[in-house]
Amino acid sequence: MSEVILQAKNITKHFPGVLANDNINFDLRKGEIHTFLGENGAGKTTLMNILDGIYYPDGGEIYLDGKRVDINSPLEATKNGIGMIHQHFMLVDTLTVLENVVLGLQSQGFYLNKKEIAKRIEEISKNYNLDINPYVKIWQLSVGEQQRVEIIKALFKGAKILILDEPTAVLTPQESNTLFKILKRMAREDKSIIFISHKLDEVMKISDRITVLRKGKLAGTVNTKEINQKELAKMMVGREVLFKLDRKPLNRKVEILKIENLETYNDKGIKILKGINLTIHGGEIFGLAGVSGNGQKELAEVIVGLRRATRGKVCIKGEDVTNFHPKVITKEGTNYIPPDRLKVGVVPNLSSVENAILRRYDRKPISRGIFLDYEEADKYTRELIKQFNIVVPRENAPVKFLSGGNLQKLILAREIKEEPALLIAVHPSRGLDVGATEFIRKKLLEERDKGVAILLISEDLEEVLMISDRIGVIYEGEIVGIVDIDLANINKIGLMMAGVHKNPLVKGE
Amino acid sequence: MLRFEKREKISVQLRILIPLISILLGVLVGGIAVMFSHVNPLTVYKAIFIGAFGSTYVFSETIVVAIPLLLISVGLILVFKMNYWNIGAYGQYIIGAIFGTYFALNSAETMSRPILLTVMCIAGIVGGALWALIPATLKAYWKVNEVISTILLNYIALYILKFLMYGPWRNPQNFGFPLTKTFDLNAQLPKLVMRTRIHLGLIFGIIMAIIIWIIIKKTKFGYEIRVIGENEIAARYTGINIEKNITIAMIISGGLAGLAGMVQISGIIHMLQIEINPDYGYTAIIVAWLSGLNPLTAMIVSFFLGGLFVGASQIQITMKVPIGIVGLIESSILFFLLGGVILTNYKLYYKGRKII
Repeated sequence: MSEVILQAKNITKHFPGVLANDNINFDLRKGEIHTFLGENGAGKTTLMNILDGIYYPDGGEIYLDGKRVDINSPLEATKNGIGMIHQHFMLVDTLTVLENVVLGLQSQGFYLNKKEIAKRIEEISKNYNLDINPYVKIWQLSVGEQQRVEIIKALFKGAKILILDEPTAVLTPQESNTLFKILKRMAREDKSIIFISHKLDEVMKISDRITVLRKGKLAGTVNTKEINQKELAKMMVGREVLFKLDRKPLNRKVEILKIENLETYNDKGIKILKGINLTIHGGEIFGLAGVSGNGQKELAEVIVGLRRATRGKVCIKGEDVTNFHPKVITKEGTNYIPPDRLKVGVVPNLSSVENAILRRYDRKPISRGIFLDYEEADKYTRELIKQFNIVVPRENAPVKFLSGGNLQKLILAREIKEEPALLIAVHPSRGLDVGATEFIRKKLLEERDKGVAILLISEDLEEVLMISDRIGVIYEGEIVGIVDIDLANINKIGLMMAGVHKNPLVKGE
Repeated sequence: MLRFEKREKISVQLRILIPLISILLGVLVGGIAVMFSHVNPLTVYKAIFIGAFGSTYVFSETIVVAIPLLLISVGLILVFKMNYWNIGAYGQYIIGAIFGTYFALNSAETMSRPILLTVMCIAGIVGGALWALIPATLKAYWKVNEVISTILLNYIALYILKFLMYGPWRNPQNFGFPLTKTFDLNAQLPKLVMRTRIHLGLIFGIIMAIIIWIIIKKTKFGYEIRVIGENEIAARYTGINIEKNITIAMIISGGLAGLAGMVQISGIIHMLQIEINPDYGYTAIIVAWLSGLNPLTAMIVSFFLGGLFVGASQIQITMKVPIGIVGLIESSILFFLLGGVILTNYKLYYKGRKII
């Protein structure tokens, strides 16, 4: 194949208590799509942040076109033709595409030549089929489109190397396919692409070569053609991985959650739930699939009491708890695994202990009068850590230093330990590696077998199909169809998610 | 070229070294300013140091200034931990002093000294707490921004004080000066150390610092405060009553500022007047920040800032430097100290090499 454009030699990076990158070597060729695969905490994002100048390595060298370079800031990365597209977009919602592209450009003087810039944006957009109008505001764009704006930003600044950090995590299967077409086209035009992903199937589909990291070390670089999913998974985790989980037969118990004609508004004041009806029984997992932004986040928030319902009813175990205080709803036996771990799930700057006791700090034995018994709290935390195999460097370090998987295990452990009747899990495995994902799914199934009613809200269709007993699809604030798992068909569900197929399928019940 | 990276933990050496170097830099910049007024900066700094710590008397004066700073700042630490920005200690201090004065003027003959002083302390706390309750309530029910409401209330408190001093509480025997009569001995806080002005307030300050530390570290209330301050959404979902916690913390914070105002007039000024140093309410904000929101550290920081102010005011008299220069030295030192705080939270790299 063609020449090497970027070479990293012996990259090493320490963080307090962790060796994030240990002597990593790899090279990137011109015009190739090179995937980085690895569990969470394997050091992929750290390595990419080093290439983008956000971190500086403790050791090792980076060569661009054979010349040694020192990348001290994202600005210097840009100058060297490296553009990174982060998982969380760096866009200003209230500005237009054009204004976002201009932000941070060094070459612009006092006067902005908007016409000229718009022309170039349109050129880039046309060249790679990005289909973006430079004059629309960011908030009017879908997630997939916003991602393409990020790509335009990088290309506008002359990126020859594009780094995408888990770009498909926020996309529908259809949007992902569009992105892949764009990436392939860019590769044909001699751009080099580094692609980070957890999803083995798409990695197999898109990349030319794959580099696998494991626990900060290089596990190897392979040609995609010469490997299969199973071997890849083994390289990544260091052991065999189950692609199918064993499920006991469904043992449906009493009705736990009943939702009738539920309506609510989102933060922008737009009606986002338009009459949701839903029943979930003990011992079953109800999977709610849908593209993000169709009301699933708000539905979960209304059920747990974080958002007000404007119409309709939420009943738990036959009792009307609509618009009750979250604490009361929790007491009624509802627990919640929120979509945004760091924003809702934990208090990032507090320790593992202080986060572990969040649901029970005001109950005995941790609560002692007006005081907290920190010894009991430590004891309880150690119990969680042991039972759920959570890797915590130090119990008193802020939890923001935990990897995504361990953070999610901590949240899951904390919520399950409350012995809920109803568990609401929103994107429980989003952004997690194969090992942690498998662990979380197994735990959810365990809870189901114990008789807990589980509402699983996920954008990952595979996940929904793998563990649900019934599947519903939410589109524009309505459940457009409910189907039993045995009758589920991934294509039909995908079309319903996209709003094409609006006829209700076989209704469960 | 220069890059910052978040620190997980900071070593003890750095925790001491960073403020020391910051002070040194502040002193250096302040020194350049002093040179412009044709005085040798070294002599000035020597004079400040001697003026703050050089004799038993000035040393005691440093402690005298540290007392109100400590009382106010430990209260502020509690609300700052919740990301609630009480800028109103200035006003709470004044109202506390006014409430205390009411009993000093009206009950000195009917109450014995311990009882009167206890009543005055409680009155000071209640006064400050009530004044703090206004912005807390506005926040809890109507989400009024506390920075604006507390600052505006500072002016109202100041004008209430002025009204009283030019009106009902002016002592006719003072030739028209806006002062009350000197408090009876019954209403004066006892001295702690003879031949100094150090009064019982020092004990209050130390006890309060320890109590606030225990509240933050050991109680459920303190835990809730930290959860609210670090992640309000998580706190809401957990079922923590944020409004209730803000209100309680503001009552404590305002109460301590009010107590500071009361001990200042009862222990030092011995009368109510217009100038009762409410600016301590602003300086205490700096104390709270410099101490990293740790009430125990606040004891040391209060003492240090007290020394800076006492020393600086000494050179005004002894060296006849313009008053502006004194302020300049103070602020350049504070500026560098606050700037240095970033290095306790972040690592600094230059051209890829770690500097600190």
